[in-house]
Amino acid sequence: MNMRGDLARDLAEIVGERHVRVDDGALAAHARDATPLFEATPQAVVYPGSTAEVAEILRYATANRVPVVPRGGGSNLCAAAVPLRGGIVMVLTRLNRILEISREELLARVQPGVTTATLAAAAAEQGLLYAPDPGSHTVSTIGGNIATCAGGLRGLKYGVTRNYVLGLEAVLPTGEIIRTGGRLWKDVAGYDLTRLLTGSEGTLAVITEATVALLPKPKESGTGVAYFASLADASRAVTAVIAAGIVPATLEFLDHKCIAAVEEFAKLGLRLDAGALLLFGDDGEADAIARNLDRIGAICTEIGALEVTLAEDVARADALLAARRCSLPALSRLGPLTVLEDVTVPRHRLAEMVDRIDEIADRYELRIATFGHAGDGNLHPTCVLDPHDHAAIERCHKAFAEIFSAAIALDGTITGEHGVGAAKLPYLEERLGTDQVALLGRIKRAFDPAGILNPGKLGS
Amino acid sequence: MIDRSASDARPDAASGTGRPAPASAGIFDPGLLDRCISCGFCLPVCPTYRLTGQETSSPRGRITLMRALESGRLADGDPTLAEEASFCLGCRACETVCPAGVRYGELLEQWRDHQWRGRRRPLLARLLMAVVSRPALLGLQRLVRRYATGKAGRRAVPGGADRPASLMLGCVERGLYPEVSRAVLELRPELAVPGGQGCCGALHAHNGDSAAGRELARKLGERLDGTIVTTAGGCAAHLAHHLGRDRVAELSEYLERTGYRPAGEVRVNGRRARVALQDSCHLRNALGVTRPPRELIAAVADYVELPNAGDCCGAAGTYSLLRPADSRAVLRPKLEAIEAADVDYVVALNPGCLRQLRQGLRRARSRAKAIHLAELLVMAARAANRSTPR
Repeated sequence: MNMRGDLARDLAEIVGERHVRVDDGALAAHARDATPLFEATPQAVVYPGSTAEVAEILRYATANRVPVVPRGGGSNLCAAAVPLRGGIVMVLTRLNRILEISREELLARVQPGVTTATLAAAAAEQGLLYAPDPGSHTVSTIGGNIATCAGGLRGLKYGVTRNYVLGLEAVLPTGEIIRTGGRLWKDVAGYDLTRLLTGSEGTLAVITEATVALLPKPKESGTGVAYFASLADASRAVTAVIAAGIVPATLEFLDHKCIAAVEEFAKLGLRLDAGALLLFGDDGEADAIARNLDRIGAICTEIGALEVTLAEDVARADALLAARRCSLPALSRLGPLTVLEDVTVPRHRLAEMVDRIDEIADRYELRIATFGHAGDGNLHPTCVLDPHDHAAIERCHKAFAEIFSAAIALDGTITGEHGVGAAKLPYLEERLGTDQVALLGRIKRAFDPAGILNPGKLGS
Repeated sequence: MIDRSASDARPDAASGTGRPAPASAGIFDPGLLDRCISCGFCLPVCPTYRLTGQETSSPRGRITLMRALESGRLADGDPTLAEEASFCLGCRACETVCPAGVRYGELLEQWRDHQWRGRRRPLLARLLMAVVSRPALLGLQRLVRRYATGKAGRRAVPGGADRPASLMLGCVERGLYPEVSRAVLELRPELAVPGGQGCCGALHAHNGDSAAGRELARKLGERLDGTIVTTAGGCAAHLAHHLGRDRVAELSEYLERTGYRPAGEVRVNGRRARVALQDSCHLRNALGVTRPPRELIAAVADYVELPNAGDCCGAAGTYSLLRPADSRAVLRPKLEAIEAADVDYVVALNPGCLRQLRQGLRRARSRAKAIHLAELLVMAARAANRSTPR
C-alpha cells in the first residue's frame, strides 16, 4: 500500500492540497528542530488553517493510529518537535492572528502561530508588556512557548510563560475541542488544566488559541554590567543581591568562553580578560531603577567585581541584552556542534553547580561554556564539539548525565525552561521518581488513549 | 543530549529516502554547511518564508535540503531541491541575523553550481549570460566613445583620494540605464572609464556558474585601474568577494570617501522633495553599507525611511525575469509602504532594483518615481547651478 499517497490524499481533503506536503524535501526539512543529533523523518507535513481542521486531523490520526507532532517555529532545544515515530508533523504557523488586545482587561487573545516578538510588539504599541521573552522570541511561537512553558531573560521578576496563561482552547487527540480557564484571574472550577497543558510539550492536546495576561509596560529600563574573576564569584554576587531584597528584572551571566564568542559576533567592546560577566537590569520608574542598579553595583564591588559599569543609554542596553540572547549561536562559531542543556538549581547553590560543571568538563576533556539566567538559578552549560568526533560526543553524553545528577543532588532539576522532549526523557525518572513517571503515563492515556500525540516523549 | 533511540525510530518513519549516507557528495564546502545550528533566527527576515510560511522556503530549511543533497538523503533530481534552489532570491538578509555566521550566499552559489549545471540552467538565464559576455551587444561602445579616457586617475580627485578610480559601466546599466553612468560622470568627472569592460560575473555566480563569475571578476579587475566604482550594489558585493573589499566602492561609498558635498536641493511643487531609499540587498547584507546613501539623500531632500527599506524588492538579479509572479509578490509590501509614505521619489542603488521599482510603481499608478542615487544628486546639483548664476 502506498501509505504516503493515502495520507496526502486524506489530509488534502481536510486542509486542501496546498497545505499538505509529502515530498522528500519537505519531510527532510521537518525531521528535526533546533536540537542537534536528533532526527526522524515524518511521512507528511500539514499546515491547518483553523481549529476545526486541527480537530479533523486529530480525529483522523486517532482513527488510523498515525502519530501527530505539533510544531511552531521549530526553535525547540529538547527535540520535542522531532517526529520520533514518524507520522504527521502539524505546523501551526498559519494560525498567526492576534485576535484581541484589551487594555481594560490587560490581556491578549492570540492564535498559536503568532511569534513571541510579534505579540510583544503589538502589546507594546498599546503601552502593554507581554513579559515572557525566550531567547528565540523572534522565531518561537506563543503556542510553542506555552507547550514548553518557555522562560527567558526576565524570569526572576516576572516569572515564566505559565504565569501569564489565563486560558486555552485546545483540541484533544480524539478531536474534542476544550476551553480551559478564560479571561479570569481567579477561577478554581476544576483541575487546573490550563497549567497541565502548559509545558505538556504537545503530548496531551494541540493548543489552538491562548488568552494571556499582559502588564502595563514599565516606563523606563536600565542595564549594567559587572565583570568578575570567575563564574563562581558572579554567582555569589547574585545570591547577595537577592539576599539584600532586590529583585531586578534581569540577572544574566556569561563565562569567559561565552564572552569571547559573543564579542566576536557582536563587537560590543566586552572585557575579554574577565572570568565572568554579570548583566543586570531593572525596569519601572527611573529613580527606583537608578537606586536598584546602584545598589547591585555596590554589592558586586563588595563581592570583588573587577569592574562595574552602567549602560549609558537605551541603545547600549539593548545591544547588551541582544548579545546575551545570541550566546548560543555565537558559541557555535567555536565548533559547529553545540549541545546545550539547561539544568537549574536553587539560586544559593549556583556557585556549587558551576564548580561541578567545570570539574566534570575537565574530567571528560570537553569544552563546556556556561551562560544562563543567574537570577533563576538556570544554567546553560553548552558543550562545543566537532560533529565528526564521535568519541567526544560520547564523552559529552556521559558528562551531561553527571551534570544532571549533580543538579538533582543540589535540589535542582534537569531542565529549567527548554523541556524534556526526547533529549532528556532518559533522565526524567531520576528527577521525578517511579511513581510520578507512572502517573504521567496515566494522565497521558486519559488524554490520548490511542497514543498518537507526540509519541515517544512525555508520558509515553 | 544524545538519544540512541532517535535513530532507531527512523526505519518505521518510512520516508522512502533512507538513512543519510555517511559519504559526502562534495557539492558544498563542508565547513560552510556545518555552521548552521538550525536555530531559526533567519526565518522572520526571509522574504520567501514570509510568502509561503513553509520551512522548505526558509534559509534554515534550504540548508537542511543542501545537507540532504550532500549526504545523498535526497536524490539529485529531487523536485523540491530544484524548486527551492530557484525560489530563493539570494538576497542574503538571513546572513545579517545569523549569529552562527553562516555564509549563506556562498552556499547558494555552490548549490546552484550543482543544481543548474549545464543544460539544467533556466534558458533565460543562459541567454542573459551569453549576452553580457559580449559587451558590443550592450550599446557599450557609444557610451565609451563619449566618456572613455582610456587611462585611470590622471586627474586628482577632490577630497584627497590618493589612488586612481575607474567607473564600472555595468552590463544592465549600459543596456537599460546609460543615464546613470552619465550622471555619475557629471558628479565625478575625474573618474576614468576604460573601454572593453566585460561583465563583473555576478550574474554568472548567482545563476550556477561561479567559476565563470570568478573569472569575469578577475578580468574586470585587470581592466579597471584602482578603485572600481560601481552603481550596482550587487556587482559591488560580487567584486569585493573576489577582488578584495578595498578594490571596490559602491557610488555612495565612493562619494563619501572622496568628500563629495551634495549641492542644491530637489524640489517638487515648490517644496523640498520627499525621498525614500530602497537598500540594495547585497550592498546592505553582504557589504554592510547602509548609512552613506541615506546621508546623501538627506542632504538634498527630506529623507523618509521606509519600514521595509532593507527588504528585498524582488528584483534579485535575473529573478524578476525567471520567476515574475514570485518577484511581484515579494515587491507588493514594498509598494504598499511607498504609497503609505507618500514620497515623490524612491532611490535605488542597483539597476535591477531600479527596473523592478519603476515597473511596479507604474503598474500601481503611483505618483512616486524610482531613480538612481546618481540621478537624484545630479538633479539637485543642476538646480543649484541654475539658482546661482555664474
